[in-house]
Amino acid sequence: MPKTDELLDVTETAIPAAVHPPERRRRAVRRPPPTTAFALALGLAAAVLALSGTPWLNDPAVAAWRTVCLAITVQALPFLLLGTALSGAINAFVPADLFTKVLPKRAALAVPVAGIAGVVLPGCECASVPVANSLIRRGVTPAAAFAFLLSAPAINPIVLTATAVAFPGSPAMVLARLLASLATAAVMGWLWLWLGREEWLRPVVRHTGHQSGHSRFTEFRLGFQHDFLHAGGFLVLGAMAAATFNVTVPRSVLDTFSGSPWLSVLFLAALAVVLAVCSEADAFVAASLTGFSPTARLAFMVVGPMVDLKLIALQAGTFGRAFAVRFSTATTVVAVAASVLIGGALL
Amino acid sequence: MKRTAQVPLLVLTGLGLLHTALFTDLYLRYVKEGLRPLLIISGALLLLLGLAHAALDRGTADEEKHDHGHGHDHGHDHSTAPRIAWLLFLPALSLLFYAPPALGAYTASHAGSEAVKQQKRFAALPATSPLPMTLTDFTTRVQQDKELAIKGRSVEMTGFATPVRGGGWDLTRIIFTCCAADAQTVKVHMYGTPAPPANTWLAVTGTWHTQGALGTRTAAAALDVHGTRNIAQPVNAFTDDLPLTPSS
Repeated sequence: MPKTDELLDVTETAIPAAVHPPERRRRAVRRPPPTTAFALALGLAAAVLALSGTPWLNDPAVAAWRTVCLAITVQALPFLLLGTALSGAINAFVPADLFTKVLPKRAALAVPVAGIAGVVLPGCECASVPVANSLIRRGVTPAAAFAFLLSAPAINPIVLTATAVAFPGSPAMVLARLLASLATAAVMGWLWLWLGREEWLRPVVRHTGHQSGHSRFTEFRLGFQHDFLHAGGFLVLGAMAAATFNVTVPRSVLDTFSGSPWLSVLFLAALAVVLAVCSEADAFVAASLTGFSPTARLAFMVVGPMVDLKLIALQAGTFGRAFAVRFSTATTVVAVAASVLIGGALL
Repeated sequence: MKRTAQVPLLVLTGLGLLHTALFTDLYLRYVKEGLRPLLIISGALLLLLGLAHAALDRGTADEEKHDHGHGHDHGHDHSTAPRIAWLLFLPALSLLFYAPPALGAYTASHAGSEAVKQQKRFAALPATSPLPMTLTDFTTRVQQDKELAIKGRSVEMTGFATPVRGGGWDLTRIIFTCCAADAQTVKVHMYGTPAPPANTWLAVTGTWHTQGALGTRTAAAALDVHGTRNIAQPVNAFTDDLPLTPSS
């Protein structure tokens, strides 16, 4: 592969030029040389280049896995950036008492209000995790922030429009999705008020918002960068898990489950979790699952934006593993119940 | 992850996105065309963020450490990022140096054929012969058009070849709604020619292969091939539109 040699040359010549000046500077201020970081980065680059010659990476199945994994990551990156930028901005620029003023004082009332407020955050589910986290940091009650976290990716105008396009001639589907998603978000918020315990949440380091002596913009930039790198790592982890299922589960198993009405609801809910289709696209996937009942397809669209492998990874990274496991399990149960009830009534 | 690793990570991720979306068309293998502006903005933003971090925060990491003293042992300090961030190097380097191939016959042969939409009314077919058609349109016509307008018509369709286990081959298109994770496959079975190698892009002309009752669900999405011609992979490979082939 002649291309590889060419690339190796480039890396070898280009990187030392970039490495040396900062290294010298740092020695001057007597800090340990940043050799480990660069060695690791170079090692990774070398590994990628060396592996590109290995045949197993180009096996059709592995190649399809790499494509799907990268596609999920690339698709989600802009939305993750939007979410972390918003969360950084909330942290640095929004006055601390704004949210507590706007939201109703009683937490039980704040939950549905926050759920409905999810309408304003356009985009995929990846954006909502960092935003919800920054809301908690700014003193919003966790129950309300979780209601927002769940409803935002499911009921924003882009997603509802996509649903209407995917199911032409059945506006009931759009309404059912809106209602079932809102109901799930609100019930989960109230459930947290009733049963939730603070200690499940990773002891969140409270960002204190704006501090004197730092420019607000620098605070925004550093917070944004930190949150992005953090969430981005978990996004890659989630994308790897989702790609594994996406490539290995043959679509023909779908037909096995479409016959039974109960199993099909559970099966499509599970499928939504493992496929990790972005919430703007899941309506089209649901529309293509024609063998299944409308209620089962509704469950696919209600569960998908709220629980999936990449979201679980993101939540585990942001709020802690103890939280992510309990919260995702409960959300799946509530979302399936809401889909069955509302789907049964409307569809 | 130290500051010195964050700079190359941000810069490489930014360059990776710009490389795939701005300088080349590689992004079309993974996501829809509509995401391009967002990818370019994201790439530029990450690049700027990395450069700003390299240029502006040279001293601050040191200062912060002195300022906070023992206070930042709890591990949340904006000058370092968590170790999980190392994983972001994988997509960044993969985008730059080792872009995975487009989905093809492997994915298509493992997918069920997508069910086509219900369509009640069909416009009259243009008189051109052979008539260029998408795989989806052909399937819909064959299975739902009560007027049987497709009967005896010579059509031309494009797609790539997917060999079928047990013999024969399908002309296939993979369609993205959002990204490669939601890829769906449309297939039309081909009769009358030996299977070309997997993933070959072809324009095929032929007429409907009589099997089942035309205009009902029993009709097979299949074609008696009269002629094939190799084509370059269209730019919009992951739609079911008529092909936009490179002009060369």
